[in-house]
Amino acid sequence: MSKSAELKQKLKDLNLEYAKIKDLPPAERADFGKKINQQKQDLMRQIAAAEDAELDTTVAALDITAPFAVNGTPPSLLGAEQGSRHPLMVELDRVTSIYQNMGFDIVESKQLDDEFHMFDSLNFAKGHPARDGYDSFRTEEGFIPPAHTSTMQHRVLKQFKPKLAEGKTIAVVVPGRVYRNEDVDATHEHTFYQCEGVYVSEDCTMGNMLAILREFFESYYGQKLNIKTQPGYFPFTEPSLEFLIEKPKSLGGKGDGWLEMLGCGMIHPNVLKMAGIDPHKYQGFAWGGGIDRLVMLRYGLNDVRYFESAKLDFLKELAC
Amino acid sequence: MLISLNWLKRGLGQITVSDDELIKLIGARLVEVEGVLDQSTKYDNIFCVQVKSCEKIPDTHLTLCKIDDGQKAPDVVRDADGLVQVMCGAPNVRVGMFAVWIAPGAIVPSTFADAEPFVIGMRKMLKRYDSYGMMAGADELDLGDDHSGIVELNPANLKPGDSFADLFLSLNDKILDIENKSLTHRPDTFGMLGFRREVAGILGQAFHSPDWYLNAQPHFTNDANVKLSIEADAELCPRYTAIIFSVSSAPATTYLNEQATLLARSGMRPIDPIVDATNYAMLNYGQPLHAFDYDKFVAVGKTDEPKIIVRAAREGEKLTLLDGKEITMSPDDIVITSNDIPVALAGAMGGANTAIDSSTKRIILESASFSLYHLRKTQMAHGIFSEAITRFTKGQPVGQTLPVALRFAELTKDYLQPIALFDTQSAPASAPTVTLELAQINRLLGSDFSIDDVKQLLENVEFSVAVSEQQLTVAVPFWRTDIAIPEDIIEEVGRLSGYDNLTPVLPLHATASPNPAMVLKSDLRQLLASFGANEALTYSFVHGDLLKKVGQDTQNSYRIVNSISPDLQFIRQSIAPSLLAKCYSNLRTGYHKFALFEMNQCYRRSDGCDEDGVPLNRHQLALVYVDDTSDSNFYTAKHYLVQLLQRLGIQAEFAPFVGAEDASNSYYEAKRSANIMANGRVLGYLGEVKTSVLRQFKLPAGVAIFELALDELLALDRQAQRSFRLSQYPFVSRDLTVTVPAAANYGDFAAKLKAVLQDAGLIFRLSPTSIYQGEDATTKHLSFHLEFAHPDKTLTKAEIQDIMKQAESINN
Repeated sequence: MSKSAELKQKLKDLNLEYAKIKDLPPAERADFGKKINQQKQDLMRQIAAAEDAELDTTVAALDITAPFAVNGTPPSLLGAEQGSRHPLMVELDRVTSIYQNMGFDIVESKQLDDEFHMFDSLNFAKGHPARDGYDSFRTEEGFIPPAHTSTMQHRVLKQFKPKLAEGKTIAVVVPGRVYRNEDVDATHEHTFYQCEGVYVSEDCTMGNMLAILREFFESYYGQKLNIKTQPGYFPFTEPSLEFLIEKPKSLGGKGDGWLEMLGCGMIHPNVLKMAGIDPHKYQGFAWGGGIDRLVMLRYGLNDVRYFESAKLDFLKELAC
Repeated sequence: MLISLNWLKRGLGQITVSDDELIKLIGARLVEVEGVLDQSTKYDNIFCVQVKSCEKIPDTHLTLCKIDDGQKAPDVVRDADGLVQVMCGAPNVRVGMFAVWIAPGAIVPSTFADAEPFVIGMRKMLKRYDSYGMMAGADELDLGDDHSGIVELNPANLKPGDSFADLFLSLNDKILDIENKSLTHRPDTFGMLGFRREVAGILGQAFHSPDWYLNAQPHFTNDANVKLSIEADAELCPRYTAIIFSVSSAPATTYLNEQATLLARSGMRPIDPIVDATNYAMLNYGQPLHAFDYDKFVAVGKTDEPKIIVRAAREGEKLTLLDGKEITMSPDDIVITSNDIPVALAGAMGGANTAIDSSTKRIILESASFSLYHLRKTQMAHGIFSEAITRFTKGQPVGQTLPVALRFAELTKDYLQPIALFDTQSAPASAPTVTLELAQINRLLGSDFSIDDVKQLLENVEFSVAVSEQQLTVAVPFWRTDIAIPEDIIEEVGRLSGYDNLTPVLPLHATASPNPAMVLKSDLRQLLASFGANEALTYSFVHGDLLKKVGQDTQNSYRIVNSISPDLQFIRQSIAPSLLAKCYSNLRTGYHKFALFEMNQCYRRSDGCDEDGVPLNRHQLALVYVDDTSDSNFYTAKHYLVQLLQRLGIQAEFAPFVGAEDASNSYYEAKRSANIMANGRVLGYLGEVKTSVLRQFKLPAGVAIFELALDELLALDRQAQRSFRLSQYPFVSRDLTVTVPAAANYGDFAAKLKAVLQDAGLIFRLSPTSIYQGEDATTKHLSFHLEFAHPDKTLTKAEIQDIMKQAESINN
């Protein structure tokens, strides 16, 4: 007899036991009933578990080396017309390949990091309110699913530092998935994508930064664009700016609207120093901006929640 | 933060740009302007009028008034004297007073921002009195909450018919909605004085702070009978200034004044004269103030030697606040005490035990600076987000506590008499300096400033600049707590002159090589999409139940302690479970056959950390193949996998499935799963998911998945595995069927067959066409279609026969 069958027999016996309740003095009936019920619940749980286990033990083995089943037909693929790439990933590939053509190395961001990389190495004072602005998640161990791709700045500075000694430039972009402790609605996601840029040389200037960013967006939107900036505040850049582009024609721009694209600035000397780069000899700039918004603008998408929904309706509709 | 443009402009020099231009400049050079509330028509057709006659309507609260509007309002009926009749319900209406009258056709200002603003007209009151327009209270004018009576205006310099909008710095104003976040480091800009200084700098005007701000000197001597001492923890409270006032007369100003309208335009409501004066000083100078009832304060302390002690709260210490709420404090909070008894939660709210009221005879005015780190915790712990704490959490400069307290005394001298001043800091600290070269500025910005340009820009906002050749020594004024290093000065120069005036120049640098992992992922998604699979993204965070459903140990997942919901509590160990969780809803939507895949990172605690002590990650590709018309999809998933790997140049082999020690792959049905192998390394797993697991996802049996470790894929020397060989000699086509024991392994036979063809030095293609087994048969038949050729010659019939014979006899 299988284990589940045995257990089912026990359940039947228990039901018979229960019938004895009417022979008991009324005062004992409640306790008795409760006890039997408890046992019944336990048994039913065990039966479910046993049935599950049996489901798995009754399956037949198959020949993993064969290309198809005995008496079966060779399998086929669903076909290109069914397939799709995720629009966020397609966009991230586009973004990074433009930067790569502009001479930037690409490094992927981590999805779990620590306080040091997320804040300390970026010149955030301990306990500074600016840390709050990031609404970061934390693990029991104190690790942080990073709230910005800047969490990689210290690493890429250290990794590419040897280039400076060779008289070359550090030019890196870091795409990655980031997280903020936010309630989800049509315009807010706790999980989203960013791309960070880091550039260091002996003589690069803020004028260079503005030119690189404009070049990127012109290349991305395939048109000449006007740009503007507004002052910002990030502990890891000094000066700090927000970078805006004129709304491109492909997004219905008529030369009047502006789009805030990213935060940027000249890397704070403390950040360079912490990565072992002499801020008297070298200077740099960095920026970081969201990818999700680029995709939403490009596809006219108005609900960010689709991105992580894995809904085929969405994935196929936006087939890339 | 709301900034009244009219208030801002007062105190600035001649402004030659339009309002729009000015707002744009503020946005480009100071702070993001989130929006502009244009109120420039809000008070149109509202007049200052004089009440000429009042007639009480018996048995009602109403008064029938005749008013003089200077005959300004159009479309009203006037009596022989040119007066307009209007009914008024306010108790304070009286003959001779100057009031505010909303003329027929005007919008009631409190409804100005509504979707459908209320437009007043002529009303028939009590069925017989024509009433034109409305006599307005502070609430209707959107200048306060007071509904107890109508607004009364000071008759000085006023004549009937004057436009109400022209009063008080012009009420027809534009209000800038400022995004505070980018001013996190600029406490000085959280007062009109500091904001205005910056705007002056942006406009190229030299700004001069008032003398009382720069050189604060009390104009009174302490009354020796008034006792107070202050003991403040210097770290928690770097400076505490207190002035004791006696309330000399009831501050009975009944006229609407400018201060009240500025409070309203800044988003605050007038409350009572003393509180209003503290709020006004805060809005104007950025320094929050608080007033305690001095006599209550002394009583709470139960001593003849009244003493303010500022200290960290004790764990569990309680205080009832002004709003009646009792809070429990922790050492993260700073508490103001009277002789150690709490009387206020520092920076946030006063206590009920020392609240001022109508019987208050003496007050203590607090003007202090607190540790922003502590107040930030207070803000979070108690959910207090007042205008005051918003300013304190920026770190108010210690240098302004005394000047602003004394300024308050000046502003309230009509009703408050300062009698004693106490301060924990006696002498102002000397100004720190920053020294830098002109070249540093131009080198970082890519600009071409002269030393005079820089000097002018900085002096406009009251830095003192000493120039020595090409070097600048900049003395930092006390309110600029954010300036410490040369880059801070460079930011000032770039910002005040406008970053948009920098010339963008592309730098030259070397080319870069592609990132192999990114290229691989890009290839994989291209290929899988071309195979008809759909790329998905799912959250990195999963519910503990999901881990349990697939047999993973929750202990092996990093757990988020501040997750939004239990759905997002654990960091996933692998990707396939997230995809499985998304299949049911897609089946329900009507997709019967689909392949979902995702590439992403996952984490297991058992993987440990890298040299930095940061958890190691895994880059995974997972694909789920669902077909609800088939109870077994192993071979379809395998087909996807083999096609994929082949195109990447990887010859994979399939070995019996081995469950991982950490149970991370225990959702595979071992008897219908395989380890994907290449060069002796495990690339990943392929197989059907356990029926018991599928049942929990409401999925039909036979759903198949594969997972690939992208790091392993990358480590393979893929190029070496490719071998392209072509022959110019004809290919021979032959079909082959062999009989093998039912339990025999297809792969073993295929390998032997390949070996035969390889040993003969042939170029070949080998396609399996069928695997047939009769019912209850002990053998099965394997059929292949073979195409082969020799690279150097045409094969003879004899050679072909020989090869086929060898193939047919493999099993013998």
